[in-house]
This record gives sequence, C-alpha cells and structure tokens, in this order.
Amino acid sequence: MDADALASMTPGRPVGVAIVDDHPVVIDGVRAWLASEPRLTVLATGDDPDEVLRAAPGADVVLLDLRLHGRVMLDKLAELSAAGRRVVVYSEHSDPQTMLAALDAGAVAFLAKHEGREHCVATVLDAASDRPYVAPTLAGAMVGDSRPDRPMLSDKEREALLLWFQSMSKASVARRMRISEHTVKQYVDRARIKYSRAGRPAATKAALLARAIEDGLIRPEEIGIYRSQAASDWPTP
Amino acid sequence: MSAEPDAVRLPPAAMPAAYDGSAATTAVKVGVGQAAAAVARISDRGARIVAVTIALVWHLAIGLPAVLGARTELAVPQVVVGGWVLVAAVGVLAGVRLLRDTPLPAPPLAGLLLAVDVAVFAAVGRTHLFSPANWVWGTLAWFFLVVLWGRPVRWLLALLAAHAATALTAVALYGATGAADLARAAMALYGTSSLPVAVFAGALTLAMLSRDRAANAAAANAMSAEREAAERARGERRGRLALASDAATEVLTELAQGRADPSDPDVQRRCVRAAGRLRRLIAESDDVPHPLLHELRAAADLAERNGLPIDLVTIGTPPPLPVQIRRSLADPLTATLADARDWARLTIVAGPDEVVVSLVTPDRAGPDAIGPPTEQGEEQVEHLYERDGEIRWTQTRWRR
Repeated sequence: MDADALASMTPGRPVGVAIVDDHPVVIDGVRAWLASEPRLTVLATGDDPDEVLRAAPGADVVLLDLRLHGRVMLDKLAELSAAGRRVVVYSEHSDPQTMLAALDAGAVAFLAKHEGREHCVATVLDAASDRPYVAPTLAGAMVGDSRPDRPMLSDKEREALLLWFQSMSKASVARRMRISEHTVKQYVDRARIKYSRAGRPAATKAALLARAIEDGLIRPEEIGIYRSQAASDWPTP
Repeated sequence: MSAEPDAVRLPPAAMPAAYDGSAATTAVKVGVGQAAAAVARISDRGARIVAVTIALVWHLAIGLPAVLGARTELAVPQVVVGGWVLVAAVGVLAGVRLLRDTPLPAPPLAGLLLAVDVAVFAAVGRTHLFSPANWVWGTLAWFFLVVLWGRPVRWLLALLAAHAATALTAVALYGATGAADLARAAMALYGTSSLPVAVFAGALTLAMLSRDRAANAAAANAMSAEREAAERARGERRGRLALASDAATEVLTELAQGRADPSDPDVQRRCVRAAGRLRRLIAESDDVPHPLLHELRAAADLAERNGLPIDLVTIGTPPPLPVQIRRSLADPLTATLADARDWARLTIVAGPDEVVVSLVTPDRAGPDAIGPPTEQGEEQVEHLYERDGEIRWTQTRWRR
C-alpha cells in the first residue's frame, strides 16, 4: 500500500486530482467542472495512467476513463487500487456489469459520463476522504445486482438505492421513505460500504471500510464476514 | 398537492395493438415443451388403445369361457372367478383412465394384480394348473401393461419377474416338477411375457422419438419467430438511429459552422435531446425486446418526438409477464409521460420476482394528469403517484 497516496488530507491543502482520458475535450470538460470548486486542483492530465501519475505522484484522486484507446482498463484499475490509489472511474459505459466490475476491482466511485456535471465535484471530494459517493446510475447497478455472490443489502438500503436511482433527488427519497435526507444518504452509503467487502481485497476498499467505521456508518462487529488479510498471519496457539 | 404516496389500484386500459407484436416470441418459447408433450401423447394413444383392447378382449374371450367351463373342477372356484371379476374391473377402470390421460396410481394396482396372481395360483388346483382355466398365465401380463403404461420398462420387468416367481413357486408346491411340466411353465411364461414387453418398450420408444421430433420442430419454429422479431427490432432500431443521427448531425453541423450558438437554450435543448436519444439506442442491448420494454420505449419515443428530452434506463431483465400485469405496469407511466414537460426520467429495475417502473418529471403548477380509471385493479401491481413541488413521481411495482 502506498502510504502517501492514502495519507489523510491536510486541512487547507487542496485535493490534488489527476485526470486520465484519451479525449482532450473530455479532459477540458472535467477540468472545467472541477474548477468551480476551490478545494480541488488538477495536478496532471493525459491519456496514460502511468505517465500521469509519474507527473503527479502526490495526486489524491485519479479520475480514470474506463476505456482508453479502445481498451477497458479494469486490470489497470485493480493495480492502482491495490497500490492504494483512490480511483474514481467515469465512463460512457454505464451498464451494470461494467460498474459492478469496477467496484470489484477497487474503484472508490463510479460516475456515468452523463451525470458528471452534477456529481463529479462531490464524488471527488468524498473520494479524497475515503468516503463513498454513490451517483444514481451506480445505485441502479447495485439495486439490480443479481450475481450470486452479491452483498446482502437490507430492505431499507435497497429501497433507498432504488428510489435514489429513480428520482435522483435525495429530498424526494426522504419524503417518500419518511426519513431525513441524512438517513437516506446513510442507507445508500452503507450499501456501498457492503460492496467494499466483496471481490478481491484492495487498499482502497480497506480505507473505505476504516473510514466508515470511524464515521460511525457501520460498527466494526457488523463487518461480520469480512476477514482481514492479516488474519492468516497470526501465530497459531 | 400532496407528498403522501397514495396507492391506487390499476385498470387494464386499452393498449395499442402494435405494442403486443413481440409477445408472440415469448409465448412460442414457453410452448415448445408443451407442444412436444402433446405430440408424444397423441402418438402414444394408438398403442394405449391396443394394450387396453388386448387385455380386456383376451380376458373376456379366452379367460372367461375357460374359467366358467372348468368351474366345478377347480379347487376353490370362488377365488378363481372372484379374481377374474376383480381384474376385469381394475382393467376397465385403469383402461378408461389411461385413455383419458388421467392414469390411476400404479403401485397399489400392481400390488393388487400380484395378490390376485398368488390367490388364483393357490386356488386353481393341480388339475388345471396349466389349463386355460388358470387365466392368470395368459391375461395378467397385459393388465400389467395397462396399469404401468408410460412408466420405465424396468417396472414392467420387475412385475413380470414377480409373476414368474409366483408361477414357478406354485408349480413347485403342486409338485409339477417333471421335465414336461417345467418346460410347459417356462413356455407359458415366455410366451405370455415377450409380446407385452415388446409392445410396452416399442410404445415407449415411439413416444420418445415423436417427443424429440416435436420438440425439435417447435424449437426451430421458436427460433425462426425469434429471428423474425429480432430482425424487426433491428429494422426499427436502424430507423431510430437514422433519425437520431440526423438530428445530432444537424445540430453539430450548425455548431461547427457557427450558425448555432451554444449558449442558446434552444440549441442546448436540441443537444440534450440528440444525446439522450443516442444514449438510449446504445443502451439497448437486447435482440428481442421484452414486451414491457418495447411498450415503454415506444412511449418514450413518442414523447421525444413531441420534443421532450427523456432518459430511459433499464436494469435487469423482466420475467415473462401476463399482458394484464404488463399493462398495469406501463399504462400509468405512459399516461403521465404524455403530460410531461421539460425532461423526464424513466427507469425500469427488473429481477425474476420484482419489476419496478418509475417516471420522474419536474413538477409544475396545474392539475394532476388525469390517470386511468381505477376499477378492475391488478392486485399484484402497486401504483404510487406523488408530487412534492420538486418532482412528479409515478411508480408501478409488481412483486411475484
């Protein structure tokens, strides 16, 4: 795990963002979205993840287009996530399988390109502090997940995800479920945290879990089936 | 204006007939197994009639005269005649039920026949052991056939083995162990068993073959129906792609030539609409759309042609749904969609046990869309409609 990449944010220092995309016009567009937020600064851009990260080794968040030069970058995504890079994937491929595969590979968040304008800044800010951000399209993929090894979501979590996917308005979901907006976000985020326990382990997933426990979103005993990779290293009595 | 969700029971409103076109494909697929079974049943019917007829005619024409003729010489004539009557009754009953496709349960009948077998051998006496008056020799195997029709051959073989064991035990106990008697017993057993086994096995094989053939034919039909539907869907899609690319090309060309101003709200709307349309086409990954998706896409296309930018997102594949339920799911949304302004988001989340369809449009002043009448509701479909000042939200939900 890259300790620098996962170091908690220093207050006052803006969040460094690296953008990887093979379309300059998209890079310009994303840069324009992020420019509206003073807490964010774009450190490097380009169409090759390795080069971009060489140029900006201290980037807190990597925005990665999932398809670069015609290749789907799931392997690269897994490699970066395993090394502790917080990767926010954005893609025009917003089919549920692709989104869930990206989460499995360790992406901190997934944005469909068409929802970038509204959700990009919030996603990057949350990602920088290892907090989950679930945009509506991802919520849809999670609620429609029918894989046999999918995480078990509670009824409320499913309902919150479903309504958030449908309405794209947390206020409306809150009214419909007769709970507060804060609680809606909690249900959605808890569902997302359950996904950080699925699939192969990654430093970013561990960081999401740790932060969720720290924030009181889940209790350590709720982790249940999640087994630390260190457990097998313990000496047997 | 109310933020309270109110559950409304849905009516099956009339649906344009064109929407139901692709429903045929699903029906054909479901029908493959049933068609094959029906063909097998029909082709098996002749053999069944033959088996029942042989059993009853033999029993009546050969068994009965012999039993009546030798009645006074039998050891316990009541048992032999009673057994004959019992088996005749069982044969008629089982035969009628078999020909009506509602066969009686085999194990108790087989047990009954074996019991009669033992009783008749015990009651027939040494004199008539090998005579036609011992009717179980000739007839019983055919009744086994009637009772066991359609079961695996090994059941029949097991019953015949039990019958042979009974016969040989009787032969031994009566002391008919001379070479001639044993040869007669063996011949009788072989002669009366081989034909029923051949008929039984032949009928099974024929039924199996015809079932395979029918299944193959039905599968081929289903495939060609599916191909036709897929081709139609592709044609439709190509038409819509042409429409969408024309609109996109037009606005892009105008932008490139500087004839359109990107800051013009009208140009922005056209871009949003063209992008949404292309996105929807890209998202359509199914060869033959589920009828529900087909209906909703058609409604979305219609709304879009009237100038409404609309997002249509589908997650999962709906299970086959009866028309009634499909209509209850789609109708409230298509009604609201016709009344929508500015933008709309139509989503479908489907799993094997649940389908949720939702339409969200911006709320605006004015009366509610006039929903369809609420009598004759489909109980499995829940309908929610609410407006909260921000959005109008229509949701229908079916749960198995």
